Amino acid sequence: MATNGSGTSHGIARTSRARTEEQRHQELEKIRKYRELEDQVRSQAAQKEFGPELFQLTSKLLRLNPEYYTVWNIRRRSLISGLLSRRSDGSSPLTESPISSQTATTQASSAVSSSSSSDATPPSHESQTTGKSGTIAEDSRNVDGEHEHASNKQQDSDATKAAAEKQDLDVLKSELAFTIPLLLESPKCYWIWSYRLWVLEQAIQRLQVPVARRIWQEELGLATKMLTKDRRNFHAWGYRRHVVATLESASLGGESMVEAEFDYTTHKINQDLSNFSAWHNRSKLIPRLLDERGADDMAREALLNQELGLVREGLNVGPDDQSLWYYHQWLMLNLVDHVGKPTIVPHFTLENRVTYFMREIREIKDLLEDYKDVQLIYESLVDYTLSLCQLEERQPNADEKGELVRWLDKLRKLDPMRSGRWTDLERDIGLKKLRQKQTQ
Amino acid sequence: MATSFENLPEELQLATSAHVKYIQSLDTRKDEYDYWLTEHLRLNGLYWGLTALHLLGHPEALPRAETIDFVLSCQHPNGGFGAAPGHDAHMLSTVSAVQILAMINAFDELETRGTGKAKVGKFIADLQNRQTGTFAGDEWGEEDTRFLYGAFNALSLLGLLHLVDVDKAVDHIVACANFDGGYGVSPGAESHSGQILTCVAALTIAGRQDLIDTDRLGRWLSERQVASGGLNGRPEKKEDVCYSWWVLGSLEMIGKAHWIDRDKLVAFILRSQDPENGGISDRPGDMVDVWHTCFGLAGLSLLEYPGLQPVDPVYCMPKTTVQRVLGQSWKKTPLSSSAGSI
Repeated sequence: MATNGSGTSHGIARTSRARTEEQRHQELEKIRKYRELEDQVRSQAAQKEFGPELFQLTSKLLRLNPEYYTVWNIRRRSLISGLLSRRSDGSSPLTESPISSQTATTQASSAVSSSSSSDATPPSHESQTTGKSGTIAEDSRNVDGEHEHASNKQQDSDATKAAAEKQDLDVLKSELAFTIPLLLESPKCYWIWSYRLWVLEQAIQRLQVPVARRIWQEELGLATKMLTKDRRNFHAWGYRRHVVATLESASLGGESMVEAEFDYTTHKINQDLSNFSAWHNRSKLIPRLLDERGADDMAREALLNQELGLVREGLNVGPDDQSLWYYHQWLMLNLVDHVGKPTIVPHFTLENRVTYFMREIREIKDLLEDYKDVQLIYESLVDYTLSLCQLEERQPNADEKGELVRWLDKLRKLDPMRSGRWTDLERDIGLKKLRQKQTQ
Repeated sequence: MATSFENLPEELQLATSAHVKYIQSLDTRKDEYDYWLTEHLRLNGLYWGLTALHLLGHPEALPRAETIDFVLSCQHPNGGFGAAPGHDAHMLSTVSAVQILAMINAFDELETRGTGKAKVGKFIADLQNRQTGTFAGDEWGEEDTRFLYGAFNALSLLGLLHLVDVDKAVDHIVACANFDGGYGVSPGAESHSGQILTCVAALTIAGRQDLIDTDRLGRWLSERQVASGGLNGRPEKKEDVCYSWWVLGSLEMIGKAHWIDRDKLVAFILRSQDPENGGISDRPGDMVDVWHTCFGLAGLSLLEYPGLQPVDPVYCMPKTTVQRVLGQSWKKTPLSSSAGSI
C-alpha cells in the first residue's frame, strides 16, 4: 500500500506509473469493488441502520483502508446502538451534538450523570449500591436511554446483568483482537490507536473493575510488542504512557507503576543506547521515582551518580550519539535550572553543584584524548563551561576564554553547517571582542 | 543569497511547470486505487496542493469556483467540515477548509452558501477541553497539540479566537514543553518537530513567544540537520523533506533559521523532486506526493529560493493571504525573542 500513517508516501521507491492494459483493468475492478463496499457502508449509515450487517461491512472496509476515520466512527455507532448491551454514553454522536471535549474517562462519568437524569427507567437504588469497586462501571450499568430495552431493565436480575456484562466483554475483546493485525500493518495510523483507546474506555465504563483492569493490563503487552518492532514509534510510547497512567488511576483501582516503568526504560536502553525515546521517558519518571521511594539526600545523590555513570559508559564508546548527550544535558540541567522544578538533588549546595560541573567537564575533556574530532564533545564543553559561569554568577576567566575560543574554532571546522549558530554564540559570550583584541 | 542557487547544476533547478501540472493532475487520477484510498485526506490534499500552487506563483491553476463548490460540499450543518462529502466533520479538515477559503478570498461564500463563520467557530470552540485547555479532533475525543494549533490557526483567520480559552490553551502548551526546549503531543510526550511547529505557531498566534526557551529549542532544532543536508524530526531518525517545514518554520519563528545550512537544505529538497513528472518526495528517489510537495516548496520559500512567493511560517500560507486576512503577517525580528506580531 502506498500510503502509511499520515496518508502520504514514505520510503517507497519512485517507479514508473505506466501500467499494462491488463493491470489497468485489474485496478479498475479493485476500485469498483472498493467503492461498492464503501457505498453500502455509507448508505446504511446515512439511514442509521447500525445493525450487525453494517458492522460486518465496516470490518471489511477497514481491513482495506484503516485510515478511513469516518468508518471507524460508524463502527463505534454500531457498537453503541446494538452490539454492546446498553448505552452508557449520553454524549453519543448520534445526537449530532459535539462532545464537551473532556478526556474519555471524565466524559464517561459526566455522561453517566447527565443521562441518568433523563433516563426513561430510573435505576433501582439497590443495584446502585451493590458494588463498591468502581462507581463508573456500576453507574453505567443503570443507564439506558433506549426504550426498547426498558422492559428488560425492569426485570433486571443478577443473572441478566452478568450475561450482559459477559456479552460486553466478548464484544470488546473481539474489537481489540480486530485491530491487532491492522496495527501491525499500519503502526503509525492515528485512527487505529485512538479507536483502540475508545474500546478500552468502554471496558472501564461497562465492566467490573477487576475485569476491566485485566484488559488494560494486557495492553502493556501490546505496547511492549509494538516497541520491540519499532523502538522509536512515538504512537506506541504515548500509548504506553496512557495505559500506565490509567492502570495507576483510581478508576482501575491501581497503584504506582513507576518502578516497573523505570526498569523498562533501563531494559530498552541496555538493548540500544541510541533510543532517545527511552531516555526521554526515563527523564520524566525519575523525579516521581525519587519522591515515591521517599529518597533521602544520599539516595538522590547516588541516583544522580548512577545516571551520570550510565551515560558516561555510553559516551566512552559512542561520543557522537546525540541521544546520550541530550540525556546528559538533562542531568546537568538538574544542577543548574532547579528552582521551582522537580529535580534530582534539591538539597545540593552551590558548592556541590559547582563540584559536579567541574567533574563532568574534566571527564568530557578526557574523551578528547580518544576522540579529537567529535563535534558534540566540543559543544558540550562550551555549554557546560558557560553553565558553570552562570551558576557562579561570573564571566568566564582568562583560561576559560582561551578554551572557549579554541573549542568554537574546532566547532566551526567540524560543523560548518551550523556556522551561524557558532557566530551567534561567539557574539553572545563576548568572544568576538576578545578575539579582535588578541589579533591586534 | 539568490545568486548561489543559480549556480546549481540544471538537475537542481526547481521544476516549476512540472510541479504545477502534477498538482493539477491529482484530481484526475480516479482510475488509480490510491485515489480512493486517500479520500479521507481530500480536503487536506486540496489545501496542500493549493498552497503549493500559490507559492509557485500559479494560484489560478485550480479553478476557483469548483474549489469553493467542493469545499462547501464537505460542510456539515454543525459548521464542521469532513474530508470529503459523506465523511464525518473533523478539526483537521475544518482547518483546511478555512485555509483554502482564506487563500482564494472566499469567506463571503461561507456566509452566503455555507453555514456562516459563526457556526464554524462554534464547531471548533466546542472541541476545546475546558479543563486542560487542549483540543480534541472530533466528538470522539482524541487530543493532540496538532488540534490545538489547528483551532488557533482557523479561529484567528476567522477573527473568532475569543471563542476559546486562550490562556488555558497556552498553559497546556507549556505543560507539553520538555527539557530540550521542544514540545510533544501531550504532557510527558517526547519532543517531535511536527509538534514543535504546532506549539510554537500557537504560542505566536497567542502573542506568547516569551514562554519559549528559544536558545535551547534553537539548538535542538538546528541539530536536526544531517550530513545529506536534510532535516530529521527527532534525534537519530532519518531525514525527510517534510521537516524542511516543521523544523525550519519553527526556527524561522524563533529567529534562528540561520542556524542551519540553507544551501545544503535547498539542494536536498531539490534532489527529492521528480523533475519530469513533478512533485516532491520524502527523500531523493522515492514516490512523490502532494504533502511533501507542499512542505518542500514551503521550505524552499523560507529559504528564499528565487521565484517563489514568500510563505508565512505561522500559517503555512502565502504571506499575502495572511496580510489580506489579518492586516499583517509574521515579520522576521532577527536576534530578538520578542512576542509575535500577530
